Amino acid sequence: MVGGGQLGVLAAIALRRSLPGCEVIVIGGQPGPASFADWSPTAMPFTNKLHDRLGIAEADIIAKAGGSYRLVTRLSGWGGAGQGSVVAYGDALDPALRTALARDRARAAGAHAPAPASLAQVLAEAGRFAPPPPGEPSPLAAVDYALRWHPPAYRALLIAAAQALGIGYVEGVIDRIELVDGDDNIAAIGIAGQGLIAADLFVDCSGPQAAVLAGHPHFVFTDWSDSLPTRHIYCAAPAAPVIALEDRVTLTSAGWVTEVAGRDGRHITLGTPAALPRAAAEALLGAPVQAAIALTPGCAAEPWIGNVVALGDAAARFEPLGPLHLDLAHRQLALLLEMLPGRAMAPLERAEYNRRSGLMMEGVREVLAMHFASPEAQRVFGSCALPGRVAAVIDQFERRGRIPFREELPLLGQEQFALLVALGWTPGLSPAAKAADPAAETSARAAFEANARAALAFAPSYGPWLASAAAVSPAPSG
Amino acid sequence: MNDSAPKPVRVVVLGGGTAGWMTAAGVAKLLPGLASVQLVESEEIGIVGVGEATLPHIRGFVEKLGIDEAAFMKATHATFKLGIDFRDFGRIGESYIHPFGSFGEEVGGVGFHHYWLELARHGKAREIGDYSLAVAAAKANRFRPPSADDSLGSTYGYAYQFDATLFGPFMREFARGIGVERHEGRVVTVERDPASGDVTALVLADGRRIEGDLFIDCSGFRSILLGQELEVPWEDWTHWLPCDRAAAMPCTHATEDLRPYTTATAMPAGWRWQIPLQHRMGNGYVFSSAHISEEQACDAIRACAEGAPLAEPRILKFRPGRRARSWSHNVIGVGLASGFLEPLESTSIYLAQMAITYLIELFPAAAGAIDPRDRDEFNRLVDMEYDRVRDFLILHYHATTRDDSEFWNHVRTMRVPDSLADKLELWRRAGRIEKYSDGLFYDASWIAVYVGQGLLPEVHDPRAAMIAPDALARATERLRMAVTGEVAAMPGHRDYLRGEAARLADAA
Repeated sequence: MVGGGQLGVLAAIALRRSLPGCEVIVIGGQPGPASFADWSPTAMPFTNKLHDRLGIAEADIIAKAGGSYRLVTRLSGWGGAGQGSVVAYGDALDPALRTALARDRARAAGAHAPAPASLAQVLAEAGRFAPPPPGEPSPLAAVDYALRWHPPAYRALLIAAAQALGIGYVEGVIDRIELVDGDDNIAAIGIAGQGLIAADLFVDCSGPQAAVLAGHPHFVFTDWSDSLPTRHIYCAAPAAPVIALEDRVTLTSAGWVTEVAGRDGRHITLGTPAALPRAAAEALLGAPVQAAIALTPGCAAEPWIGNVVALGDAAARFEPLGPLHLDLAHRQLALLLEMLPGRAMAPLERAEYNRRSGLMMEGVREVLAMHFASPEAQRVFGSCALPGRVAAVIDQFERRGRIPFREELPLLGQEQFALLVALGWTPGLSPAAKAADPAAETSARAAFEANARAALAFAPSYGPWLASAAAVSPAPSG
Repeated sequence: MNDSAPKPVRVVVLGGGTAGWMTAAGVAKLLPGLASVQLVESEEIGIVGVGEATLPHIRGFVEKLGIDEAAFMKATHATFKLGIDFRDFGRIGESYIHPFGSFGEEVGGVGFHHYWLELARHGKAREIGDYSLAVAAAKANRFRPPSADDSLGSTYGYAYQFDATLFGPFMREFARGIGVERHEGRVVTVERDPASGDVTALVLADGRRIEGDLFIDCSGFRSILLGQELEVPWEDWTHWLPCDRAAAMPCTHATEDLRPYTTATAMPAGWRWQIPLQHRMGNGYVFSSAHISEEQACDAIRACAEGAPLAEPRILKFRPGRRARSWSHNVIGVGLASGFLEPLESTSIYLAQMAITYLIELFPAAAGAIDPRDRDEFNRLVDMEYDRVRDFLILHYHATTRDDSEFWNHVRTMRVPDSLADKLELWRRAGRIEKYSDGLFYDASWIAVYVGQGLLPEVHDPRAAMIAPDALARATERLRMAVTGEVAAMPGHRDYLRGEAARLADAA
């Protein structure tokens, strides 16, 4: 496992737990700040399931890693000044209610505060939430959420788990790669001053330089510059704690700004199409710049070559516009676990991994590209190519309120619908929606309102609840 | 309703078979006020009507239309279906059931079939179907609807086996009850707009003109609008699916048992179906006319029939393949007019239903307002569905060791589509299924056919070997016992129908 950041350590745990008989060694330390998956203070709901599977307890993340919960992300400015709305997780809305909400959106195009479209939004706006007891019916059972944490503390938590599993660690820098004669496999990698480490499988979690995969003679990089215009990223150091169920993604006149609330402070990131003077970046961040990163977006044409498989930023580089880095990395890790090979890897197994992994990466690219497709975003970032089926999706959405299905997309249909609304697109109404039975919509709205009341009555006030859940350990910092 | 609702789109359905009346009913029910539906059919022409077995998706369609399951089953003499029993496909004397359900469950992220393959390596595996509730219930001729929780009792689905000659009329009555206007007559002229090429009206033999904005071609293999009038090319798949005829001959039931499954038995030049309905057994031989004559096929089906024949064999002719575009100009093909895949996996009604669903999803906003992007999207979706089903059907023929006839030698050795060749190779080398989430036939279906037809992979997931063989055998035995217990608690299929007789059965 090359790369000892939060991704590499979790991947090491995953491999070790999946194949208890195999030896897993993590090589190298925490990748630099350009490895966004390794420094992300948050992920998406998929990660919660992966944590469960790998024995990483949510309670430990809350108690020991400064954990907190996000129910919604508020997007602002993408459709013009004052425009915006929130995106929640899940795909559980009653179809009749979905139609009713689409009708509201269509009628209220440009309105500033459309009615809540999810229980998560109702709860976030009221500041009430606690995770529902797993497997038990409760008014919150359908509310999905993402976790946030303090990255160094989360990494420390994972390292402790890795050590308990007997995962080895080698500090050092890779200075050479030795290929097996006559095939695509790597026999060993050299660690400066420490000799060679041979292995059956090399997992590259080293960040955007892809220390192992990019050294492979068959490595090919696919450039995404034409569709993803962010070239510079500025990160601020988190300061005072922020207890909130909502995060924010805002389009400004100079670029986008993301704000992730946390018990260790608000993580603020700025993305721009061109380099900014430090003072200008700090003015937009509202805080001192902790890291400035230049970005060339793209992905490995084949993230698995021979016996090397790349995860996270080693497989795909793109702007940290939302928590897609760690989500993609964790979905790719889950795919690796699903396709986990023995010593002999069939070429078609690799091809199938690369096919699905490629769909995942392209899916992320398409979701990001949707952000830059609106006229407002193009005023800031310039005109961009629309990759894949983005143009068709926006067209279907605008004319029919329809989200075509796409394999391996990071967002569910309803999430994608909410994202496009939040980005300023107005959903059309399909003839079928226009013809829908108003009585069904009325009863779906009434059911939603009843569910919302029940959820609000059931959920505790989030701040005090989180304080009590985290009481066993104070919020880490630094 | 929209305040400024445009004039309803005038939909004209040509053809009153299963696809035609399903389309008319679906559009009229799901687009009320937005579409007016007329259907033209001719009693002179008749319908094909062999689609007697269905897939579980039909339940969603029936429910969406607001049709009562009991009324529908009673009217069509329907029985329940848990899967298809394939006999003699991989090798003469071997059989397996492709169930509407799963085999065991994933453990630690590793699919059940890998554990089963590991057990088989140690000679400790029973048939994989023993770990599927749908298979075990089918073999025992038992049935009850799946439970709504996430217990073992929820791990299967069901479809119907019904009299297709009654299904069309049932849908006709339903459709007419919700406002579909029926015209009896034969189309003699198709009028088109000289500028756009769109179809504008159908002229019937008695001179009536049926005008419309959108024409749905459900005219069967004749494909009067899409094929004959618009000349949309036909992509022929006979080289992969050589069966092009069926000899259908209904029979009486030979035994008291009522199978909750369809049987497909491989024959020297194709295969024959047995579909148990409440009142009779559907029976027929799907064959390749390049390999045997129609007379030989009729003789064969007479010889194989287990019950008393209720009619002489009737020959049906078909061509496997699909139109290059299912939606061209303002004409949409649904059912056989747009494509045909032989009924080996009971996909005919599914493919019609799928096209209707996409049509409603992409229905024009107003008369004359067909957006080419919607047309392209419809064609993309329909093509994907046909291609995936095609590959799955070809697998049934190609994954065989049979060398007892010209037919089987051809299908065993033919070059298959690249898309299927890759899937096969991935399975052979690693025991893995190429994943997709859209379309039809997921992992369990592919596993059923691969394993059932004796195509076992060279290796499987190494994690399955991490459990000691004895412990694995004990765990799977517990699952098998649980399956057996569930099945024992189910009523017999005929008993279930009788028990529900007032509701479901008029002839059980």
